[in-house]
Amino acid sequence: MKLKKLFPILLATPLVVALAQSYFTPSELEAIKTGGKAYAEVFLNQRPDQALCSFHRNRLPADLLPQFLEEQRALIKYPASGKLMGDWKKGGAIFNNLQKANCFSCHFGSPVHLGGDVGPSLEKYGLKRGQSEAIQRYTYEVIYNAWAYFPCTVMYRFGALGGLTPEEIADVVAYLLDPESEFNTKPAVGSK
Amino acid sequence: MGRKRRWILLGVVALGTWAGFGAYTQQQKPLDPFEEAMRQRQMYLETFGVLPGELFVEEGKELFFRKGPSGKTLEECDFGKGKGVLEGVYAILPKYFPDTKRVEDLETRVYTCMQTVQGFKPSEIKRDEVKAITTYIASFSSKARIQVVPKHPAELAMYNLGRELWYTRAGARDMSCAVCHDQYAGQRVRLSPVRSPKQGLGNEWPAYRFEEDKLYTMQDRIDFCYESIAIPKPEFYSEVHIALTVYMLAEATKAGRSFEELPFFTR
Repeated sequence: MKLKKLFPILLATPLVVALAQSYFTPSELEAIKTGGKAYAEVFLNQRPDQALCSFHRNRLPADLLPQFLEEQRALIKYPASGKLMGDWKKGGAIFNNLQKANCFSCHFGSPVHLGGDVGPSLEKYGLKRGQSEAIQRYTYEVIYNAWAYFPCTVMYRFGALGGLTPEEIADVVAYLLDPESEFNTKPAVGSK
Repeated sequence: MGRKRRWILLGVVALGTWAGFGAYTQQQKPLDPFEEAMRQRQMYLETFGVLPGELFVEEGKELFFRKGPSGKTLEECDFGKGKGVLEGVYAILPKYFPDTKRVEDLETRVYTCMQTVQGFKPSEIKRDEVKAITTYIASFSSKARIQVVPKHPAELAMYNLGRELWYTRAGARDMSCAVCHDQYAGQRVRLSPVRSPKQGLGNEWPAYRFEEDKLYTMQDRIDFCYESIAIPKPEFYSEVHIALTVYMLAEATKAGRSFEELPFFTR
């Protein structure tokens, strides 16, 4: 029983140790505050998982991975309707909006904007993968919280940090997967 | 050239740019943005006989020799190589200045001297004036080899702070500078090539951005990055910009990089 009580503490230990080695010294924090309140708050309120990725320069040691993945997985929530594929038209508006999801900046495949090549190409995503429950779930979860699959990756954690609602993410899933979606019926900008 | 004339000219120039630019972004094939900028630059030269950046240099020169409330011009300011020396100073900044006991970049140094030498109050100093003066002084380091080597303890502290800020992931998009500029250097975000400090990131500012029809200094460019990763912009002349600049330019120095033609002409 004692061990059971200790367990969460033991689990948290590596994180605390990592944070104790926090890279900003008190004088550095003072310097950051000269950037103004709004700027400084972002750094003062850094999340523990962000700190962990920063500290390890985005390559987590193997012994930290199981717990990290479990914590990231626990952040994923699903639409109340249970449907992981929503409205592809709404999804397209989200996918192709710089201020919203900004997907095309890194991923190739949009029929609206020329995509970047920082992330993998998503060209004809749904045609290549089909629409099985497994692929719907995988796509939804990666968009909701990419860190549950790719720890510390550059991709925003759209659902986990509130950038998109579960319903909006389901719309983006539909944009990528639905065979009727313009993402799959129209050629990608820049395609040969 | 007067400031009024500059704005009239820029207005005409902007109209021409937008017409060409629409065709540029809607093309199917990815264009090399650098080549496109060089093409636009040539067009400006042929059409107007002058580059927009040169107009900012002219404006900066006028302001440099303008007397402040103390009766002094900026000739009385030490920008890093002694009073009145402008040749090559931009290439050695940021550095530690004993009079302010602070590491300053050129923009901050201009802002400082406008107060301490010229007697302006902070509220009287316009950001656009600091930008123009910075551009004028930076033009004396066009194509110069970057020489930022932190030595003084304050410079080393700023380098360390800059490096940590560079790697810190924060904000609603989990971003850091490094996550793009180190990991994906050489790749493309939309049309823009991503560069690392070792590849010379930052060696083109101050520059005229034809896409925005605006002059950007290094601090402006850092702010533009912060804006795109959803982190509020730090205050101008704060330690944050200076620390990041020290880190980036010190890394560029190690790699033997030089500045571009300053002010540069870019997207």
